[in-house]
Amino acid sequence: MSDLLLMTWTFLWLSLLCVGGGLGVIPEMQRQVVTRHAWVSAREFVDGYTLAQLTPGPTMLVVAFVGYRAHGLLGAILATVAMFLPTSLIVVLVTAQWQRLRAHRWAAAAERALLPIGIGLSAAGVYTLARTALHDVVTIAVALGAGLLLYHGRISAILVVALGGVAGWLLL
Amino acid sequence: MAEPISVARVVRSFALTGILSVGGGRAAFFYDALVTRRRWMRVDEFLQDFTLAQLLPGATFSNLSITLGHRLAGLGGAFGGLLAVIVPGGVILVLLAAFYLARGLTPDVVTSMHGMSAAVVGLVGVTTVRMARPALVSVRAFAIAVVTFVAVGPLRLNTPAVIVVMTAIGLWLHRPASAPPSQAARP
Repeated sequence: MSDLLLMTWTFLWLSLLCVGGGLGVIPEMQRQVVTRHAWVSAREFVDGYTLAQLTPGPTMLVVAFVGYRAHGLLGAILATVAMFLPTSLIVVLVTAQWQRLRAHRWAAAAERALLPIGIGLSAAGVYTLARTALHDVVTIAVALGAGLLLYHGRISAILVVALGGVAGWLLL
Repeated sequence: MAEPISVARVVRSFALTGILSVGGGRAAFFYDALVTRRRWMRVDEFLQDFTLAQLLPGATFSNLSITLGHRLAGLGGAFGGLLAVIVPGGVILVLLAAFYLARGLTPDVVTSMHGMSAAVVGLVGVTTVRMARPALVSVRAFAIAVVTFVAVGPLRLNTPAVIVVMTAIGLWLHRPASAPPSQAARP
């Protein structure tokens, strides 16, 4: 029980670190759920993130995967609520006031200050995922190929991920 | 926006958009659904809501469903829109997790998962590059992004500490020029 509460609390404070999107919190989340508390293995975490990419809705639903692995259905529900409820309340409160707040001199400063931090954090999230997911020539080639296809072509992301699956099945 | 949209219509359209938006760059699905096809809001209204969704803590996609839902139908639209994009995906992901964890993976599934995970790294890499291009317009912004990346990524420093320090530095670098006292009196 106390571990369930600890997990809920962990996702709650992690949710507040999602600056510039969920990807930025992946390094710290991996540290907490894999290294510190061992709720999932490093491989399971990356696979869970991959499944979340293939699932509709926000990728941060990966917390439902981790919660389910650690504590079953209740774990999945509590992890999801902890991840989305507090930040959603903040967003609702700020949105209701935003027309007034954005006129403030510091609003523009906050925007210019936070966006680059969010991008740095997202890049660190890519780095963290890559450290587990890319472990040989084939996986590196698949990642580069997927990136190039998505960057240059008008091809759907889900199709590229599926192609990666086929490449892995054939080559690994 | 001419007239308020009912909460039920927001929930229906957001649920549909949420279910269709798989893969990266999911905000684009909302843009297409609400600005291009249904014409429920203007481009600048959408961009304002998108910036706010990125700025505030939380997953951008769920934050965006709140800011857009709030604009369209007030508080009911905000919470209805949020649930409409989270619940279907949450249910599907738990089913996938149950399957993944219960069956134990056959070697074929393991190698496909490894291939898909590698492709996801390419996907999130491209998404990050696309996000970075319009945002990193100055040397200061670029430097802040790079320092944040190195600190949290390779150096594995504590993320909350890095966010606090970098936010303080960023705010200081972009601090508004102190207003001259005479400004209020000017016509």
